[in-house]
Formats: sequence, structure tokens, C-alpha cells
Amino acid sequence: MLKPLYSKILYLLIILTLPGCATMQFRDLFSGYAQQMEPVKFQANNGQFKQAIASTPERSVSDTNYVLALLEKGRLSHLSGDYPTSIKLFSQASHYIDEQKLKAKLQVSKGFQNVGAIVSNDSAITYVVPDYEQSMMHSYQALNYLYQKNTEAALVEIRKANLVQRAALENNFDAINDAIDSLENEVEVDWQSISDTYPEMENIVGKAKNGFQNAYTFYISGVLYEASGELNDAYIDYKKALEIYPENTYLQQDVLKIAKKLGMTDDLQKFEKRFGKYTSKNVKNDGQIVVVYEQDLVEARDEMVLRLPVYTSKDDMRFYSLALPVYNNKQQVSHVANFQLDSKALKFSQIVKVEALAAQTLKSQLPGLITRQVLRLIAKEKVRKKMSKEAGDVGNILANLYNLASERADTRSWLTLPQSTNILRTYVKEGEHHLVLNIGGKHKKIEVDVKPNRITLVNITAMSNHIGYKTINL
Amino acid sequence: MKKIIVSAVAGVAVLALSGCANKAVVSYGDATAVETTDINFGSTDLQKVATQMTDSLLLSPVVGTLTANSRPVVFVERIKNKTSEHIDTESITDSVSTKLLRSGKFRFVDMGRVEAAREQLNFQHNGGMVNPNKAIAFGKQVGAQYMLYGNLSSIVKSNKDKADVYYKFTLRLMDLQSGLVEWADETEIRKTRETASLGW
Repeated sequence: MLKPLYSKILYLLIILTLPGCATMQFRDLFSGYAQQMEPVKFQANNGQFKQAIASTPERSVSDTNYVLALLEKGRLSHLSGDYPTSIKLFSQASHYIDEQKLKAKLQVSKGFQNVGAIVSNDSAITYVVPDYEQSMMHSYQALNYLYQKNTEAALVEIRKANLVQRAALENNFDAINDAIDSLENEVEVDWQSISDTYPEMENIVGKAKNGFQNAYTFYISGVLYEASGELNDAYIDYKKALEIYPENTYLQQDVLKIAKKLGMTDDLQKFEKRFGKYTSKNVKNDGQIVVVYEQDLVEARDEMVLRLPVYTSKDDMRFYSLALPVYNNKQQVSHVANFQLDSKALKFSQIVKVEALAAQTLKSQLPGLITRQVLRLIAKEKVRKKMSKEAGDVGNILANLYNLASERADTRSWLTLPQSTNILRTYVKEGEHHLVLNIGGKHKKIEVDVKPNRITLVNITAMSNHIGYKTINL
Repeated sequence: MKKIIVSAVAGVAVLALSGCANKAVVSYGDATAVETTDINFGSTDLQKVATQMTDSLLLSPVVGTLTANSRPVVFVERIKNKTSEHIDTESITDSVSTKLLRSGKFRFVDMGRVEAAREQLNFQHNGGMVNPNKAIAFGKQVGAQYMLYGNLSSIVKSNKDKADVYYKFTLRLMDLQSGLVEWADETEIRKTRETASLGW
């Protein structure tokens, strides 16, 4: 009587092992990524980056989450000040992403993975690094090289980031349309009931005009170009950043300043009409301080369970539950940062909200996610029916348990990124300056040495229980 | 039936155990063979750039007159990497300077080893190990008359089906006394890659 059960288990084994090159760890089958990363985030919040690296799960090259582990460890090494290791990890991740892009359009192994994902969950599919994470990675890699005094390599990373950003715009709009088209032919899903229950993530995505590009990367790029004297390139990147964050006053001033320096009279007129007359605050031989302030850690995707009616071939309607990832609009306790430069208070201005980019990415993935989820429901239900028919109650219970336990939303995303990044920029006299940062009772004093006519970059990372910083003269 | 199951289990076990292990094969190849592993800057590009540049430099009439009666001293500044790849541009300048030295028309000073030379001279004078009469004196080196420098830039475009990369390599020779650029040339390389439509 048990023989058919054996053969079922055998099928399952075959399906789970066939993807071969890309394997999924046993724990990914039953617990979500965000859940596994909790201890890492906790340690990072306390500034224990070395411990956090140690608690990040080891992943082999064949693991579906391999690249994610590289990104997390790369970022944690960057935060702990171990720049050579961070460079190594990020370049491994970068190679991996390049290889993924090189792969054939129709991959046999991907087909197997999809089959695997249909009997288990989406963690069986190799993690595809979304564009915003790629551009963040290249930005941090650029900073790594910069801290190693290798400006040329830093600029190479900046150019890589810009290639990613350019592709981001083109790819995403295509992807969404393709997904919706293919969906309509494949499964009959009651889209209305999904959109009724699935939360609108609009307030997280925010007003961002273009949710796929990342102004932080453009800004870092602009600053590096400006420091290396390539004003034309700097101007283009500042302008792109301004397009995304038009209300950022520091960006407005930067664009005006460089438009003036380059003699772009038409542009200058246009921008002065929008942002007011530009008056140079630059006194001869003054230096500039650029403060980049990274706040907290990005929110993880939550899992939400959705009751969804699915029509079977006999037009019976049945309710099934679906596990979908979602960004909940939690009330985040973000402390206001009080910043003083030589006892003069200055305000930060936001340059990127990573969660907005992440939510936008999730929105574009949603049609595909739901299709797979529905197909999975149908497949799992079929397995259950067959097992209960062939192996009686034991089979039924086993199948039900497996189906329930393996139904996990795909909560994978790069979780050690900051929640938001803010900038501040000002002209100061050359010499020593004192910066004081106050965030929710935490206090940090930073001394910087400003050189004439040069930019001093101060990168502050504030976790909930830790403030770290790094300064460099560009 | 039992046999089938047993053989199937064995098959799965083999699949699972062997996983994705590829057998590594080691072999020697031609160092100048055309290499097309991927679209990134590779050995063929490096060789092409270095050969074309030195040929062009050695054949140019201006350089012919410069080197007619003397062997000018040149120093290689550097090739600025303006591409979106991490490329060891020192390796390009090494190839170019080696080829030029081999031609016997130029002499080079190596700015990358100045510190090492200084250390050696310091050792000879202050180390107490070397006969002071035979120590090499400071201030006797020959200064460069010409500077060799350049840029490597790229334009990369890609979409789902195709990737295209264009490299432009510019090399210049400047007379350090007059500041005149005596010679300049550029080499272009274009590579395209089409994505396979079916693969593992």
C-alpha cells in the first residue's frame, strides 16, 4: 500500500535534485529569508558587524541565495571598515550578476527550478538581484575603492552603476508589460479580488517620479566626478538626481553651481526660474563638506496570507490561501537627526529611500509572483489528492503538512542596506571643523580636516544603537 | 517494479552525489590565440592595442627624425582607465614600452621603481655595508625627454538579445621641454555578443 507513496516521494526527490547546479538549503524550504536574517540585523543594529558577518548563513556557489549572502557580507564588511574584504565580496557578486546576464534566454535549468518552485516555494528559484540593489552595490564598491585611495577604480564602479541605472529604466517597463500579457493567457485568476485585498504600497513607493532609479548613486557619482574635475559628467549626474528629488535644496544648488561654472546659460535660466537666483557662496580657497548620512536598516518584506478564489476546470470555485510578500506601511520610529557644524545647525535632505525602491521592485514582480503561486496551489492540491487516494489518510496528512509548511512567501532582499540616505553640503574655511550629530539621545562628535578647494566626504551610518563614520578628502 | 524503483533511487543518488561537479581539464594553449570567452577586455584586445600602437609609433615619420641620431629617453606616465571595467592598464603600458625598447630606438626610465632605486642608493651610502668609493652617486640619473600617456575609454550598450562594447585607446607622446605633442594615435575595437536562445 505504501509503494505508491514511495514513488511519490521519489518524484519529489527527483524534482528537488534535478535543478542540480542551483540547490536550495533545507531551511529555505520552511522558513523565510527575512526570518533567518533577524539575528544578523539585530547584531548590525548594535554595531557588532564582525558577529553579524559570522551569523550570516554560509552559502555555496550552487545555492539559490548565494549572491544575497555575498551582498550582505560585503555590506557588513564595508560597515565594519574592512574595505579589502568588502571589495572582494562585491566583485564576486558583480561577476555572478554578469554571468547571470550572459545566460541564455531560455534556460533548461530554470525550467527545472520553476518546477521545483512549484512543488516547494519561490526560494527554489535563483535570486535575481534587482537593479536598485545592483546600483547600491556599485556605489558602495566605489566608496570601498575610494577609501583604499584608488580613485580610478572608484570611477569605474560609478560607470558600472550608471550602466545599471540606464538599463533599469528600459528593462522594468518591458518586464511589467510582458508579465501581465503572459499571465492573462496562463491562469484564470480573479485579479479584482487580489487587488482588493493586497495592500496598495503607494504610500511607501511615495511620489518618486521614477521608482527604478536611485538618486543616491547619481549623487555619489556626481560628487566623485566633481572631485576629479570632470564637471560635465558631474553635471549630468546631479541633474538626474534632481529629476528624482526635485525638492532637495542641496541638489538644486549643485545643479545651479555647475551650470554656472560650465556656462550652460539656457539651463541656468531654466533652473533659476524654478529654484531662484543662484548666488555663489564660494569664497576663494574654501573647501566643501559633503555629509552622507545613512539611517537605520531597510525593512524586510513581510509575508501576507491571502484568501483567493480559484476556479477549477469544472468551474467549481474554491478558496485557497496564498502567501505573498508585501511591504507593510509600518509606523517607523525614525529619529530626527540634529546636526551641527561648528555649532551652526544644518538640515539633512533625503536622497534615497531604499524601501521605496524595494516596494516598486516588488510591485513589478507581483504579476509573476502571483502566477507562480496560483500554479503552485493547483500542483500541490493535485499531489494531495493523489496521495490521499493512493496512500489513504497517511498520505493526505503528509501532503497537507508539507503543503502548509512549505507555503512561504519569497521574502528575499538585501537587508543590510540603509532605510534611507540623506545629504548635506556646505562651504567652509579650510582647516579643522567640528561636526556634532544627535540622533534620539545618541551623540557623536566628528573632527574633519578640510583642504582648500577640495571636497571632504563624511559618510555617517546610524543604526538604532550605533553610529559609525568615515571621512575622506577627495 | 522493485527493480525500477531501485534503479531510479540509484539514479537519483548519483545525480545528487555528483551534483554539478565538472571535471577540470588543464591544457596549454597559444598565448597569442584569439580569445573570445566573454565580451570584457581580454588578452587579444591587449595584444592588438599594444602591437598597433607601437607599430604606428615606430613607423611615424616624426619619430623617425627624432630617433635618427639619438635614442630619446621616454617615461610612461599612465593610461587612464575611463571604461566601466577594471582593467590593468599598466599591463598595456608594459607591453608598449617593452616593444619600443626591443626596437632599440628608445630608452626608458621607470617611474614606478623610483622608490626602490632610492632605497638601494640609500643603502649603498648609509647602510655601512658598501664600499663608499664604489657606491653609486646620487644625482647622476638621466631625465626623460618625452612622456608617453593615454586614455582607454569605452561605450557599452546592451539589451536582452545583444551586448555591444566599443573601446577606444589613445596614446600620445609629448616633448617635455616644449610641451608639444609630437605623436598621437588611436585604436578602436568593437565587440558584440548575442545571447544564446537556449542553454542549460
